[in-house]
Amino acid sequence: MLKIKNIDAFFGKIQVLRHVTLHVGAGEIVSLIGANGAGKTTLLNVISGLHRSWNGSRVFLEVETRGWRPERIVGLGLIQVPENEKVFTPLTVLENLELGAFLRRPSRGILQHELEGVWGQFPILRERKDQAAGTLSGGERQMLALAKALMGKPKMIMADEPSLGLAPTVVSEIFRIIRSLNEKGTTILLVEQNAKEALRISRRAYVMDTGRVLLTGTGEDLLNNEEVKRAFLGKDYHGKWER
Amino acid sequence: MGKVREAIMPIFNPDIETMDRRELLELQNERLQIVINQAYSNVDFYRRKFDEAGLNPDDIKTLDDLKKIPFTTRKDLMENYPYGMFAVPLRDVVCLQFPLGLYGNPIVIGYTRKDLEVWRELVARIMVGIGINEHDIIQVAFNYGLFLGAIRFNQSAELIGAAVVPTSIASAEVQLRIMQDFRSTVLASTPSFALHIMETMQKKGVAPQSLSLKIGLLGAEPWSEEVQKLLEESLGVKAYDIYGVMELVEPGVAGECTARSGLHIFEDHFFPEVIDPVSGKVLGAGREGELVLTTLTTTAYPLLRYRTSDLTTLHTEPCSCGRTLARMDRVLKRADKMISVRGINVFPEKIEEVLANIEGVGPGYSTTVTKKQGMNDQLKVSIQTSSAILEGKEDRKTGLQESLQLALRRAIGLRVEVELIKRQEKD
Repeated sequence: MLKIKNIDAFFGKIQVLRHVTLHVGAGEIVSLIGANGAGKTTLLNVISGLHRSWNGSRVFLEVETRGWRPERIVGLGLIQVPENEKVFTPLTVLENLELGAFLRRPSRGILQHELEGVWGQFPILRERKDQAAGTLSGGERQMLALAKALMGKPKMIMADEPSLGLAPTVVSEIFRIIRSLNEKGTTILLVEQNAKEALRISRRAYVMDTGRVLLTGTGEDLLNNEEVKRAFLGKDYHGKWER
Repeated sequence: MGKVREAIMPIFNPDIETMDRRELLELQNERLQIVINQAYSNVDFYRRKFDEAGLNPDDIKTLDDLKKIPFTTRKDLMENYPYGMFAVPLRDVVCLQFPLGLYGNPIVIGYTRKDLEVWRELVARIMVGIGINEHDIIQVAFNYGLFLGAIRFNQSAELIGAAVVPTSIASAEVQLRIMQDFRSTVLASTPSFALHIMETMQKKGVAPQSLSLKIGLLGAEPWSEEVQKLLEESLGVKAYDIYGVMELVEPGVAGECTARSGLHIFEDHFFPEVIDPVSGKVLGAGREGELVLTTLTTTAYPLLRYRTSDLTTLHTEPCSCGRTLARMDRVLKRADKMISVRGINVFPEKIEEVLANIEGVGPGYSTTVTKKQGMNDQLKVSIQTSSAILEGKEDRKTGLQESLQLALRRAIGLRVEVELIKRQEKD
């Protein structure tokens, strides 16, 4: 579905991504894990068109999208759920969801029907539908962000740190929702610091470090990978000869 | 019945083995970035090698850039013994393999659990590709001590549900008895041992029809198509060639399929190139040269552009079996001086080493190999000896001959004939 080839990206003169090549197949959940500053968010921003300074190839649904503006990429069915400012805080939950469908301009009837679908999936949002998004809790905001993305009828969602700053019980709820979106047919590219949870729900994953892809494998492979354990799951070692 | 089985052409991992070649190339490119990053950041040898060549991992963007990387040779592996070539700490390694025949300059190859998992799948792909399934009984008559890869047959057979009889080094008579009693359907061995079993059958008047054998899974030494035909006729099997490289995986780099038009290389794990062994220039498909392999997924012991010394030709057109993986011709020749005798690799360096440690002999020597059915069978080493010994007492000569024989056998794992010849004394 998504094929990224040899992406270099820059902030001014500083290169932050180096020849990143990866792919996400239709129906997959793929995770990008890595430390702060590894380039994960920049990569998402390159894919969604928000970050402009890059070279390489970016193919979505077999279409090369080089030079496309972000809204055109959204139109193709690729929606990013950013880490910060993921919802419009002064607007109500309902207004946020309507904005999520803005690019498609659905009729009132269709919109109403789609909203019913969202309420079914996120009952808490129905309860809060006339509340300003800024008054929601962190977990509810994250749910709203995902629901808003769904209103764009995406083929693929890129979620940036959806579990950041949430309480552990809410984190598992968010991961459960992401998994269920995937089961309903949405392809997911997930950026996470919470490597353990992310790898658990992912078909495959890539490990990034200082702008490069260092490892890849199935979620299970990487959960058992000693290098990943050391780097992200808090296990350490002291040298080559250590057993 | 046979027709039906062949028509289905079972494939173990169809997603990979029949993948569109353009997609395969993308997969290889994606994996290459990781191998390069891992090798450069975790293997001092490769970091040094890149730095010396003025290369940065960033210079390797696609497979086309691979040719900028200097080759890796067996000498490099020896110089970085024991763990210098490892890309992971020892803690991640679950298997250490120490190939025989290289005592003086040993190498050790490590595998992580993941590496072994991949290896197991590759041998299973070969097995399934030649029609082995859960109903088969595989008699493994490889020497489990000398051929470290033999144990992989057990593990891969388990994966596909076939049964394994590890008969190992049992005599041909015992092998034959087991083959009859257990109704083995597959014989896995060196072609020379298969020939030996064939002769024993003929001697004892055992008709191939009285056996249940269907498939020969043969390799670990060069064997011609004539030998293949002979074995098929006299054992009543379809005989297939398998290929591996001791320093990567052996067996498991490539294997024949039922269409028999070369050995499919598992390109999702190994990227093959063929080079001119003298100039090092990359030759395209269809031209014979030395096979060079780059590991794409190996985690413990990644090798970039490893020179195998095996001569072959690559073919990239799709195969009638449905696989899109490139094929290589069977390996009959080497780019170095190694000779393979009954499946055992003999490196000239080994012989030189033995001679250097015994007084009054060498360094001059020559080897002759007697052949049976066109296969290397007996190795004779003619060793230059000082005239003091040659003209001396007979029992001293016999004693020397015996100790040379023993030392050579220890060093190369093969019984050899030793002849003492006159040393060309320098004036």
